[in-house]
Amino acid sequence: MNALWRVRGLRDLLVVIVLVFGVGSIAMLLAHVSPIDGFSALFDGAFGTWEEIAETLVQTTNLLFPALGIAVAFRAGMFNIGAEGQLILGGFAAGWLGAQVPAPAWIAIPMVLIAGALAGGVWGAIPGFLRARFGANEVIATLMLNVIAVLLATYLVTGPLIQAGGGAQETALLPKAAQLGDLVPDSRLTWAFPLALVLAFALRWVLQRTVFGYELRAAGEAPEAAKRAGIDLGRTALVAMAISGALAGLGGATIVTGVLHRFNVGLSPGYGFIGIAVALVGNLDPLWICVAALGFGILQSGGIAMQAEAEVPKQVVSLVTGLVIIALAGRRVVASRRTT
Amino acid sequence: MRRRFGAVQAVDGVDLELLPGEIHALVGENGAGKSTLAAIAYGAVRPDEGTIEANGVVGLVHQHFKLIDRLRVWENVLLNREPRKGWTIDVPAARERVRSLGTRYGLDVDPDVLVETLPVGVKQRVELLRELDREPTVLLLDEPTAALAPSEIASFFTTIQDLAARGTAIMVVTHKLAEVIAYSQRVTVMRHGRVVARHQTAETTAAEIAREMVGGEVPPLAEREMRAPQPLLDARGLTAHSGTSVLHEATFTVGAGEIVGIAGVEGNGQSALADALAGIIPFGGTLLFAGTALRGDDSPAARIKAGVRVIPQDRLREALVLDWSVRDNAALGRQRTLPLARFDAAAREIIERFDVRPPNPGAIVGALSGGNQQKIVVGRALLGAPRLLVAYQPTRGIDIGAAALVQSRLIEARNAGVGVLLISFELDEIFACADRVLVISDGRFVGTFAHDEIDRGRIGALMAGHA
Repeated sequence: MNALWRVRGLRDLLVVIVLVFGVGSIAMLLAHVSPIDGFSALFDGAFGTWEEIAETLVQTTNLLFPALGIAVAFRAGMFNIGAEGQLILGGFAAGWLGAQVPAPAWIAIPMVLIAGALAGGVWGAIPGFLRARFGANEVIATLMLNVIAVLLATYLVTGPLIQAGGGAQETALLPKAAQLGDLVPDSRLTWAFPLALVLAFALRWVLQRTVFGYELRAAGEAPEAAKRAGIDLGRTALVAMAISGALAGLGGATIVTGVLHRFNVGLSPGYGFIGIAVALVGNLDPLWICVAALGFGILQSGGIAMQAEAEVPKQVVSLVTGLVIIALAGRRVVASRRTT
Repeated sequence: MRRRFGAVQAVDGVDLELLPGEIHALVGENGAGKSTLAAIAYGAVRPDEGTIEANGVVGLVHQHFKLIDRLRVWENVLLNREPRKGWTIDVPAARERVRSLGTRYGLDVDPDVLVETLPVGVKQRVELLRELDREPTVLLLDEPTAALAPSEIASFFTTIQDLAARGTAIMVVTHKLAEVIAYSQRVTVMRHGRVVARHQTAETTAAEIAREMVGGEVPPLAEREMRAPQPLLDARGLTAHSGTSVLHEATFTVGAGEIVGIAGVEGNGQSALADALAGIIPFGGTLLFAGTALRGDDSPAARIKAGVRVIPQDRLREALVLDWSVRDNAALGRQRTLPLARFDAAAREIIERFDVRPPNPGAIVGALSGGNQQKIVVGRALLGAPRLLVAYQPTRGIDIGAAALVQSRLIEARNAGVGVLLISFELDEIFACADRVLVISDGRFVGTFAHDEIDRGRIGALMAGHA
């Protein structure tokens, strides 16, 4: 069933591209802007200078972590749409712990990253457990946990775990030792980017080359056959969701330690949701997801420039992203009707 | 008529003529192009070349029912043709229309029953009624008796003969040659997309048709060697339920080196029996396997480890990952013990022993024919030294050649000392393979027959619930 989510060949990629440019153009025309001006502002904003290229890669990185997590869950047949909440709580755990516990860099950075992955992993494991134990629908559970995550983080950061030196809904600034080093001077691009790429390759290896990956894919593709082959579906769902949440949480942690240097409740403009589109356009394959993340990273970073220079509302980018998700999900509905 | 799917010429220059009032059998091995031809005739598939002329409406009853389980009988029968009253459906009229349709064709079904609650034989009637409501002059039936009991098959064909007598042209796509001989007037035999023979049924025999289908002699089954079975599985008061399938206090044994056949009509507890042995569902009672008691809450993994292998009934859903290669499917169930590097060797061994076509471990399983898919499922179950093999409908929907091969491999496994529990709805299969036959009816074992005491009439009566 899960194959129906995947992009099949060039035709689907073409649909995505036509959607992005076609619908984007229409939206720009409605905003009384020439699409040529709009898109050239977008690409100029994404690639115009070294700093802008670096910023595009920052956006790519921020999308890549949750998208990889989403792909793991989807491959296991779990429709995790809670990456946003997992990312936010991961970011909170990283930011709070990093500011709370001073330590040398070689301890502080792994600590912050692991804290983020753990928090996100626990948040992802909750719907996994509910599905394994009670058969609860993970779509609804993850969706609701997104809301809870935002409120929980807001409550903690303004209430019991408030830190001196933080602004409204923020933790204190991380000490230098807990901040990820820049990869390109004067940019926000850090070692998180190569880390995400390495993780993508590692994830592909795990999925394709290990017994665990084999069982996870079997559970996602054909649960009844997997069950009869001795694969514990509940355990697979739980572990896949925990890994999925951990990757999103790690993403939140890298935003905190690499980009913002503190946790802020508004740290994500929806990376966990855009990540769904990235994962689907990337065919749920970690390597193609890297390519898809770059594509959406361009839209994200270019979108800001487009708004500033061509006066096209940034929401055009959200609109296009949303349509890509609807197109791919809609195709799944059509395909599943045809096969039954 | 010609039609190509990818590299496969599914239908290759076929001419076929159906006459009003005749029952025309279309036979051939799996993948011979029968179903494609039927789909072309119905209009569901467009031919690459060729034309169809039909005098009136063409109806098609699918092998796998296309009913909506959550709707009532009348809702299914009249779907998209509901009698209307203004903006609403005229329910009393709809009910009456279905009831009178049933009376007219001798297919009585309560129009208000939910389809999901109906037994298979009745679902078939609903499927047939739906096509009959369109008053077809040509009716195509794709493997119509695949899920019916012997008595249901007879009454089904009575209805079909009745329809033919009213002037409907009927084409039955089937692989059951006994039915071809008993009920059809003409036979068309297809092989590899072409028509290889046409007969008046009265002038031919089942053996001749079988030879033409296979393109040679039908391979004989493997010999059953004489051997004294050693105790292997001992079930006492085995009770289980899996969905609607219920098994009551079944007591039986399966010896190592013995094939025990479970004869029964679908839906009489077979699924509960298979699932309980597979470790999918918990069971009550005791189950001794090679001297040790199996636990009711074991996982399937524990059963696999103990040496129990199951060939599930539904290969597409329960046995295979259709988007995967033969290689990856060959390892399913043994992924914990078989190193990744050995997947390919396992696949090649199955391909070799079972003559899987194409002989390519990288082929995607979903693209293979049903017979070749089933060979992979059976081959996989027999690899890695099984001790007990539960074969649930192991030749369901596959052609004669493939079925004979599968049955021979089961007998060979028995000869090698594997205990085989053969659960089948096809009596001929059980009679051909089993050392002992147990009859199951309504979830209980109601009779036991040794191989040389098999009494077809008596077993049929027991299956139908007549003690």
